[in-house]
Amino acid sequence: MSWLFSLIVRDADRRAIESDLAELFELKRRTDGDRAARRWLRRQRVLYPLHVIGDRLRAIPAFGRRLMSHLWRDLVYSARSLIRTPALTATIVLTVGVGLGATTGMLAVIRAVLINPLPYADAESIFWIYTDNAPYRFRFSVVDYRAFEQDHPAFSDIAAYQSSRVTVSEGGEADRVTAKSVTGSYFPLMRQRPLLGRLFEPKDDTGGDRIAVLTAPYWRRRFGGDPNVLGRTMTIDGGRYTIVGVLEPADGPLENGVAFFTAARWPEPKRKGPFFTMAIARLRPDVSETAALTTLKATNARLFPIWRSSYQDEKATWGLQDLKSRVVGDVGSTLVAALAAVACVLLIACANAVNLLIARALNRGRDLAIRGALGASRGRLIQHLLAESGVLTIGATLVGLAVAAGTVVLVTTYGTTFIPRLSEVRMSGAVLAWLGGLAIVSGLIIFAGGLVPALNSTRLRMDHVLRSSGRSTTDGPGARRLRHALVAAEFALATPLIVAAVLVLLSLQRLNHVEVGIDTARILTAGVSLPGGLYPDEDSRREFWQRTLTRLETLPGVERAALADSRPPDDAGQSNNFELEDRPTPPGQNQPICIWVGASPGFFKAVGLRLERGRLLDAQSLQNDEVVVDRAWVQRFFPGEEVVGRRMHQGGCTTCPWTTVVGVVGTVKFAGLDTPDRGTIYYPFVDLPATYVVLRTPGDPASLVSPLRQAMRELDPNLALTDIATGDEGVSDSLVAPRYLTVLIGMFGAAALILSVVGVYGVMAYFVQQRTRDIGIRLALGGEPAAMRRMVVKQGLRLVLGGIVVGVAAAFLTARLLTTLLFGVSATDPWTMTLVPIALMAVAMIACLVPARRAASLDPASILRES
Amino acid sequence: MALQHFELHVLLAMLRHGSETYSVPLVLELEKRTARPVAQAAVFIALGRLEKKGLVVSRLDEPKGGRTRRYFKLTRQGLAAVKAHREEHSRLWRGFSRLAKSIKA
Repeated sequence: MSWLFSLIVRDADRRAIESDLAELFELKRRTDGDRAARRWLRRQRVLYPLHVIGDRLRAIPAFGRRLMSHLWRDLVYSARSLIRTPALTATIVLTVGVGLGATTGMLAVIRAVLINPLPYADAESIFWIYTDNAPYRFRFSVVDYRAFEQDHPAFSDIAAYQSSRVTVSEGGEADRVTAKSVTGSYFPLMRQRPLLGRLFEPKDDTGGDRIAVLTAPYWRRRFGGDPNVLGRTMTIDGGRYTIVGVLEPADGPLENGVAFFTAARWPEPKRKGPFFTMAIARLRPDVSETAALTTLKATNARLFPIWRSSYQDEKATWGLQDLKSRVVGDVGSTLVAALAAVACVLLIACANAVNLLIARALNRGRDLAIRGALGASRGRLIQHLLAESGVLTIGATLVGLAVAAGTVVLVTTYGTTFIPRLSEVRMSGAVLAWLGGLAIVSGLIIFAGGLVPALNSTRLRMDHVLRSSGRSTTDGPGARRLRHALVAAEFALATPLIVAAVLVLLSLQRLNHVEVGIDTARILTAGVSLPGGLYPDEDSRREFWQRTLTRLETLPGVERAALADSRPPDDAGQSNNFELEDRPTPPGQNQPICIWVGASPGFFKAVGLRLERGRLLDAQSLQNDEVVVDRAWVQRFFPGEEVVGRRMHQGGCTTCPWTTVVGVVGTVKFAGLDTPDRGTIYYPFVDLPATYVVLRTPGDPASLVSPLRQAMRELDPNLALTDIATGDEGVSDSLVAPRYLTVLIGMFGAAALILSVVGVYGVMAYFVQQRTRDIGIRLALGGEPAAMRRMVVKQGLRLVLGGIVVGVAAAFLTARLLTTLLFGVSATDPWTMTLVPIALMAVAMIACLVPARRAASLDPASILRES
Repeated sequence: MALQHFELHVLLAMLRHGSETYSVPLVLELEKRTARPVAQAAVFIALGRLEKKGLVVSRLDEPKGGRTRRYFKLTRQGLAAVKAHREEHSRLWRGFSRLAKSIKA
């Protein structure tokens, strides 16, 4: 109810009410006990919106109340009449409700993720500035940012940050959280204010104490919202930081999941890289994006010669992208596909509802004609139908409300790993207005569908109606054509949806069969990060990792232990450029880029990677600047040639010693199962601050979790293990997005199929019922039951076929929407496009067979007697 | 000024409580006096209605790190409305004992 509460009570009052309720709750708890007080609080929360609504209704003037009372009477009458046909009512309310709710829920998600501006002041003017090395877009290096700081004529404010996972250790407990190291200009650029204390200022960049600003959720979670938190210190990665402020509550993508901010103290760089810095800037209102790009390119061109020794990629330049597109990425097509799917289900549900109501109206033809003959006006009849559609729509809307809330919860719970900005999704007033709008449109469709036969019935002559007993005379050609068109439309909408569901399923199946390249069933991996304060230099880190390997290799059940900064199938430590001795980059071209994996010598055997040529890395590889490459790398740069002994300059550094390829191993997926292999280089891992521990066991890798934790605690209690996963879990986790999409579209595809089948069954059952007398006569005159069966099935399939043909055409037209979501299967896959229509025809035939069998088994004698 | 029954209760509770108050003391006061549970929502909404009628005024208090409260204060018209109600009721109740006795008899 909290969303309803927030919708009908002003923000300021809501805070006051919550505060008063909290105070009363405390008093009740003291007098009546915890349980009773909680029950009281729950009741208060539920009753609040009802009190407000009651109060507003009392304010409606008397005339309005009279009008509402008439409407109420009509609605009650319609509700009673609908309750007499519970199966039909429940079908319409549930199917239209599910369609309405799911569509509204998806609209709420799309609104928050794709449509709403980022929740920052003047968010449209904030841009991400990146190194443009097409097709890649890199972050900035500190060198880039320092140069940008000096020269940014197109931007009013610029700032930078680096995100990292850090260890907060207090009282022997280590906690891994995400932190952002930000420049003093960051908060002024974001125009954010403190809730407590102060935020960083440009003067904080230049030195002084190490300071931190907490985000409001972390302040509440870790410090219980203590207002005296300012001035306290916390140990972050082994260093002491003083808390100087708490940021106001913010749920934008740049704060989402962040525990705190520290003032950036980046050391002066000795070379151009590494590229870990996110630079953001506010475009001046009087400068266009094109003009800004020109200034960025000019600054970069001036910077390039200064750092040529460590970065030769002359073609790489700077670019800008608005922050929202950067944050949202390519998730748009997934969301739009999901919305299209639910909208199809809603339309099918409406078509089905109309069909069912037409059947109902036709069955009531006599009743309506008699009422007409007794003086009921056409207006009164329309009013009644309107009220009936109103009752159905109200029911469907209530179901839709629950389904919409459920959809939002489902998407925000299971989609967090691959859909950004989900923390901003709300069941807001605008979303409820959309639900209302969709409900009104659906209600009008249902009303209009039911109107045709009802109007027909008022035109009928009383004597005709009473004379015709077995067959309704209200089934005019208009109503029949409408019902047939609706069934065809249902199949036309269901076909592309089912095609899409099959395609994403095939795509998931192909992804499941992609070779990761390692023996995932026997390995366990876990992330470890060394705090900079405790392990400040290469020697201390090298010594610790050596000790770690020695300890882990002695753990019972561990066959091999290794370290690597990347984890298959979707965590590549870094991508880096290089210059091959035998394939120098032509002037003006980009240097080649591939994944570089820092690995200890034991890594290859630990993950079960086979050596194909040369030898693996060993203890001397670091001194000798040796690397191992994979098969994909060989195919990309030296297909069919010998690569062992080839040399390159790492990171394009021309003054550095040559790096030599000493071996070739099999290809491993590091950039995701659906990403083409572009080659990987393995270099000796020695002193990196963060890594994955890789353990190989002959038994169940999950059984190593507890001994691993214990061993790491013994090695250093300040360290926390993160992202612990067996090899198989890692693969499974990397498929969460396609699996999610498959379940989503599959679910809606199934719903569309069921509704369409119900639709064709309903029409054919009605067809048989209407023609009972004709069929009886034909059977009495010697007609074959098989011929009757064929007639019904043929009639049904004729309707369905038209819809499926249109549906297949729609599937071809909308294929482009699916292309980015598929892997290893074409959006116009000929097998799918052929087999889905055939399967649909088969299912429709089964649906038609039930009424067809009834037609064939009719007893002509009893039918003729009855008529 | 037409006053609903509950609105009058709230105004009387406000009078008892003093110059400026918020919903919690009023809920407690009303629960004590009427000996039945009173919903905080009912009190807050009634206060809102009274404010619209000009019988009370309110201000929002949001101290940093403290509780947010909306404080309400009776206006001169509010006091006048209570007095007018009392007089009206007194007139209606006048002679009640005699009338009740005559009905018994």
